[in-house]
Amino acid sequence: MPRAEIVKKVPINDSYFLFRSCVSSSKYPGIETSTEEVFARLGIELEDSPEQSCCGGFITFTSLAEVTASLPAVARNLSIIEESGKNALTVCNGCHMFLTEFGHFMDHNPDITNKVNEMLGMIGREYKGTSHVLHMLEAVAGLKNRIKELITRPLKGLRVATHYGCHYLYGFKHDAVDDPYMPTVLEELIEIAGAENVTYPEARTCCGSGLTQVIIHKEEMSLPFLKRKLDSLKKIEADVLIVVCPYCMTILDRGQFKMEERGIEEYGVPVLYINQLLGLAMGIDPVRLGLEAHITPVKRLLEKLEVSNA
Amino acid sequence: MSRLFDKKLRPELYSDLSELTFRFIGDLEKCMQCGKCVGNCPAASVTQYNSRRIIHSIKLGNVEDVIKSEELWSCFFCSSCYASCPKDINFPFTVAMLRYASLYAGYGWEYVKKLLPYALDYYRTGMTVLQDERNPNITRRRANNSNTSGSMADVREKMGLSRERKVSDRALSEVQFISDVSGMTRILKELPHKEEKAPLTRAELDRMVTVTGPNGKFAGFPEEDDNA
Ligand code: SF4
Ligand code: SF4
Repeated sequence: MPRAEIVKKVPINDSYFLFRSCVSSSKYPGIETSTEEVFARLGIELEDSPEQSCCGGFITFTSLAEVTASLPAVARNLSIIEESGKNALTVCNGCHMFLTEFGHFMDHNPDITNKVNEMLGMIGREYKGTSHVLHMLEAVAGLKNRIKELITRPLKGLRVATHYGCHYLYGFKHDAVDDPYMPTVLEELIEIAGAENVTYPEARTCCGSGLTQVIIHKEEMSLPFLKRKLDSLKKIEADVLIVVCPYCMTILDRGQFKMEERGIEEYGVPVLYINQLLGLAMGIDPVRLGLEAHITPVKRLLEKLEVSNA
Repeated sequence: MSRLFDKKLRPELYSDLSELTFRFIGDLEKCMQCGKCVGNCPAASVTQYNSRRIIHSIKLGNVEDVIKSEELWSCFFCSSCYASCPKDINFPFTVAMLRYASLYAGYGWEYVKKLLPYALDYYRTGMTVLQDERNPNITRRRANNSNTSGSMADVREKMGLSRERKVSDRALSEVQFISDVSGMTRILKELPHKEEKAPLTRAELDRMVTVTGPNGKFAGFPEEDDNA
């Protein structure tokens, strides 16, 4: 299906269930607050619930629990989303992947769904498959024109590079709102925010961790790969790097510090979530956008934009 | 006994769910060995790792070699091989499932152990990633970068949030319940004691590693042992 058709099919509602990410809440809370602020301005309500937990997918891909353990864990979260009667909005490539993949798997394997529901039944829950799970990239692609009207402080002269992350565009290649190898959604939004797009040779490669490689083979594989990406990024002298996933954010933001700590190289490229950038262009307070949680020098970015981080 | 997912250890009701692990495996039979997957592979770009070669090995029936290999633990799970595969083979899912087979057979525990702290956090709190920093220098850097002590609790408070995100008591007990009845809790308890390797026979391995064929049923591996 042509991508434009996929974008048209994204359900744009008046309210969504905000599916939180552990990485975001714990390491970069601004990913969630910037989403809340931007969506509030769009007039879209986000419902929260303390019943949601970690999406449950990570434990599968660490091989620490079989699918038998993580499938019901994921289904439990899906049942909570369904209870709200809304579609879910995810801020993380990983949460999106697990919620959609496992939901899809259950929808096509009714025997498994029955077993999962047997387990969920014991805690008074049920997976029905009635809610759609949106990735942030889908939402902002669908809301592009409405976002445009809310830009009050165009980010003139800001050089912005992007990193889309693997698990949405690559892992979700048939249904993603953009082309895995030539995506432009973020670039269009960056233009809408009044900034300038810059690109670098390693723009479409992995952050250096995938799911767990920064833990399993940190020194031999993850860091060398990350270094190549950051070296390529440094050359183009971008003011900021934009991501759409808290885990990519963790690796790229903290990874720069790791390189510095080891005396390998200094990069100093601030990393922001797309909604944090849009938030700045909407004149939202940088403290509320959670920029103080970042490890890369966001102050430098704010100085350039002449916004103070009070 | 090094077979961690031994059915006997699992509560009766859910023991039959374990075969579903293998329903996620892509149909490797379709692979035409074009090598497109290797071109975008981060693991292949920094090591000798080669997804096409692993698939070739499996298709030739050398499953045991793959299961014992270090390479199996080199995949990033980035899915760029899947994005470029003309045959739509979702190789990272295959790798994930092969890793289970590897663990069954007594290999790979040293890698999985490194991930244990995250799974324990998940069991304890319902969240896999928590806000305490394993590297204190991060907090110090954040203090320089912001106008706070650098602790995440302070940053969150300044943003107008609670000092820490917590899942509800009900959510936590449900997460733990699922972990207990599905056998995950047992894995977490046993993991620190996993040292020994007890390689299985070829026949036993073949029984565990199943590939779903086009009809959704077990397709098995070709019998010929060709090392060409
Ligand atoms: S890209 Fe697909 S068909 Fe080609 S070698 Fe890799 S897995 Fe096989
Ligand atoms: S998912 Fe694994 S095999 Fe595929 S490209 Fe990424 S690292 Fe390579």
